[in-house]
Amino acid sequence: MPADEVPADSRPAYPPPRHAMSLLALESEQDLAGDVRGWMPVTPYTSSPGGMPRLATVAMLVDALGGMRSITASDPDWAFTADMSIHLLPAGPTEVLQADLHVRRRGRRTLVIEAELLADYERPAGSALLTFAVVPRPEHLVNITINMTPGRRMMNANSTHEKLETNYLDELELQVREPGTVLIELRPVVCNTVGALHGAIHASLIDEASASLARSLFNTEAITTGLHLAYLDLGRVGPLTATATAIGGPSNGRLTASVDVHDGNGALVSTATTEVVAL
Amino acid sequence: MSGFGSPAEIGVAQYLLMMIEEVGDGTAALPHTVGHFPGTVNTLDADGRLGTDLLTCIIDSIGGMTSGLASLPDWIVTTNLMIRRAPDALVGDRGTGELILDTHVLRRGRSSVVTRVNVADSRGVSVATSWMSCAILTPANGPPPFTRPVKPFEREVPNDPIFAAPTHEFFNLSAGETPGEAHLSIEQRLRNPWGILHGGSSAVVLDAAARSLVLGRSTVEPTPEAIVTDLAVHYLSPGRVGPIVATATSTGRRGPDHLVRVEVRDRGADDRLMALAMTTVRRLD
Repeated sequence: MPADEVPADSRPAYPPPRHAMSLLALESEQDLAGDVRGWMPVTPYTSSPGGMPRLATVAMLVDALGGMRSITASDPDWAFTADMSIHLLPAGPTEVLQADLHVRRRGRRTLVIEAELLADYERPAGSALLTFAVVPRPEHLVNITINMTPGRRMMNANSTHEKLETNYLDELELQVREPGTVLIELRPVVCNTVGALHGAIHASLIDEASASLARSLFNTEAITTGLHLAYLDLGRVGPLTATATAIGGPSNGRLTASVDVHDGNGALVSTATTEVVAL
Repeated sequence: MSGFGSPAEIGVAQYLLMMIEEVGDGTAALPHTVGHFPGTVNTLDADGRLGTDLLTCIIDSIGGMTSGLASLPDWIVTTNLMIRRAPDALVGDRGTGELILDTHVLRRGRSSVVTRVNVADSRGVSVATSWMSCAILTPANGPPPFTRPVKPFEREVPNDPIFAAPTHEFFNLSAGETPGEAHLSIEQRLRNPWGILHGGSSAVVLDAAARSLVLGRSTVEPTPEAIVTDLAVHYLSPGRVGPIVATATSTGRRGPDHLVRVEVRDRGADDRLMALAMTTVRRLD
């Protein structure tokens, strides 16, 4: 449809300026078969003390690419992220994280996508598994078209001129209330297209809730290396709070945590388990 | 698929002998159950610890049943299951012996259910935490019969020595030619009431393949020097024919923790991919 024939859309443009996704400068490429490859630069603002990308940012990369891959994989239906698992490996200081996504199952009601993570195009950096719920395509998304022309491109045009100039989690304005408890206000820059907390920001909350709990228990720096996250409901009411609870005690520099995210009304909107490693 | 029906029909349940009780009067929209796993000599290791293979089985059993209660008059199939063991209960006497499984349905949507299972020993020491997702379906012959609230009942164990055998024998496992491969031959006792391989059986064979890979030797027997500490398994299609073959490949490691990817395929059904898992195997030696 020519652009001048598209009915005016009164909704605010998405994403808004300085959205969490834009600031990570994600790039993607999709081949004619639909398979997706993507990249994320790793900077001091997005890395953990060892120079690898922080789990919060990896979640954004795989969530964005998974969503992109799901569009063609679920066609003519639509797909919503139901859960996400991430395992990170010690890949050393990293400049670029690459993710290669593959569909492992497309059923009537679920879609399973696997992501292989590579540091600087060559070193194994971990993996991710995502489940999507396949649903009839919502009315407002019937006419969406996907740019399938070959080539690597920014996933969001704002990334060309918006730069992250502070720690990613500070940019999100995450507030650590106490070890294991992290809060975020619901602002457009951390929302998805329907005005709820973006799926990858759930992961950011959970990452920092887990890491802050571990730091207090280990009395040293700690990084979240594993995540199993289930989305239960849209977080439409802020502020949202993640609360991490240790499963057993720490041992050998490892902590297992269970993390719940509640919305401003106290409703449980996501749950996760994590592994945190002391540095 | 998680199965729960007449005790006489579920061999895996007769092997594990877990007792399940529903908390409350059985009218809660999001059911809450508690499981008591007695832990028999043939199912526990020398320390009295349950391996992650059977831990997954009991979590799948109680989580599947509780998710099913939330879905009545429909029922469920397990789509994925995530487990993490407590790091301070991997060796020694912490987290050993009888286990208590506290199970809550967190969400019951139109087409899926998410349920959490926390596992502790009889002293209250945390052993593991888990959540699982199930898809709601309408079974051809209706759901399993239940009287609510569900009360514990004694399962009749067949007079067959296989029900007192070690895990690898009960689940009919055999080692592949190379480390990282394990086989399971389907017997009737390993099927659920719908005639397909019990979901826990997939977990057992993939757990064996992952440990074998990390130890570098072909084995399906207990391995005191390695344990699966973390498991994310996605059930992609049912196992019907067999043999079932689990193939593990290494993704990398962090100190003693090896990240292992496992595919489980039904070789007799065009090698169809049944399950895909990422696991962490800890070397304990």
